[in-house]
Amino acid sequence: MNSWKKYIALLLAMVMVCAMALTGCAGKKSSSENTASDEEPYSKDIFAMDTYMTVSAYGDAGEKAVDAAVKEINRLDALLSTGKASSEVSELTANDGGKLSADTNALMDAALDLYESTDHVFDITIYPVMKLWGFTDQNYKVPSDGDLKAALKLVDASTLDYNKSKKTVAFTVDGTQIDFGGIAKGYTSATVAQLYKDYGVTSGLVNLGGNVQTVGFKPDGTEWRIGIQHPEDENDMLGVVQTHDQAVITSGGYERNFEEDGVVYHHIIDPSTGYPADSGLISVTIVSEDGTLADGLSTSLFIMGKDKAIEYWKAHSKDFDFVLCEDDGTLVVSKGLKDKFTPQDENAKVEYVS
Amino acid sequence: MKKKDFIIIAVVLLVAGILALVFHFAGGDPGGSVRVKVDGKVTGTYALIEEQRVPFDTKYGHNTLVIEGGKAHIEDADCPDHYCEQQGEISKTGETLVCLPHKLVAEVVAGEASDVDIIAK
Repeated sequence: MNSWKKYIALLLAMVMVCAMALTGCAGKKSSSENTASDEEPYSKDIFAMDTYMTVSAYGDAGEKAVDAAVKEINRLDALLSTGKASSEVSELTANDGGKLSADTNALMDAALDLYESTDHVFDITIYPVMKLWGFTDQNYKVPSDGDLKAALKLVDASTLDYNKSKKTVAFTVDGTQIDFGGIAKGYTSATVAQLYKDYGVTSGLVNLGGNVQTVGFKPDGTEWRIGIQHPEDENDMLGVVQTHDQAVITSGGYERNFEEDGVVYHHIIDPSTGYPADSGLISVTIVSEDGTLADGLSTSLFIMGKDKAIEYWKAHSKDFDFVLCEDDGTLVVSKGLKDKFTPQDENAKVEYVS
Repeated sequence: MKKKDFIIIAVVLLVAGILALVFHFAGGDPGGSVRVKVDGKVTGTYALIEEQRVPFDTKYGHNTLVIEGGKAHIEDADCPDHYCEQQGEISKTGETLVCLPHKLVAEVVAGEASDVDIIAK
């Protein structure tokens, strides 16, 4: 080669490499466009069910699937909202029961199964007590003992006369009120996951106000990395769960609470006392293929406390796994997550249960 | 190829490497920003490298987005629950601050990559 040719070659090479370096940086910048491709998901965010939700899906079917998911979420919200007089749940309460649609029938069935299996810890008739505390409309106050006792008398799901095949329910005690809030978001995320599959979406993420549902694997074929909120530090995580095709649902007193006379009262009410659960657990995460179950169990195990939670898991270990956080920071992890859970603090005390 | 050609190739690679590093750590990457949406509509995007206080007065109420030290949080909210002020600081892509009563969402876009895809809470 002549020397001038070499210099031109050198110059061209440098221009190319500079261009590559620049576009490499530019590529990082455009990460939040609403385009459906293998690289970026199609996403939408909505306010529904008293929370903020984001639904996203990768691939060619992503856009249609996400649009359908948003419609489905709004439909279920209209059906299940206790705040809307026209909702099916409000009408059931107003009429002391009635005919159930396919969705409320499925929810009633799941709710009463949980009521039995959790030994009455999960109870959809807790609503009058939640109302007294103001957790339904944010008019927070500590109820009087008399009011609480009266409301607690109405908390008893065994008084619901339910017929699954006829899809009917009758409230046999006057004043009974129901709320599917304890499983509605889990049921909704499971419904969306099924809808994604019907549309052929093989990779997607559903976040209903912190209730997470994964669909398939990430586009690169690896598992999703789901952080678990630290219950005592909003800028920290307890750890990371790697998963696919499962719901990851966390409950803790930090989610919704208020302070009165220096005492903090949180929203996870123990139906046996009418007061916020004080079981020694400060956070419970459930990982399960069944979003409805995961939602219901996250609060139920929180109320049960460590020992009963472990006992419950041992009887149902095929259905779910858990990460419990005790008030001293100890993490208790069921064996199915042994290779899937990584604590954020490498010095954290972690007990594995098998 | 001659020995000289190898030297030229080595020099080109070295220069390219240095340039890539410079672009990566200096002006080439401006860092992330916070995109604020009210009721689903984007109302503004604010660079995380700029210290700033951005007031939001909408029909729903007031919130102030504060950006300090490359992180964003919410202050001065007049919502009933004040949860938005208790959500800490955000700086990584995809992290959000949400004020439900005011339908306000602040989300980091094109920021530092997060270690996780999402946080269950």
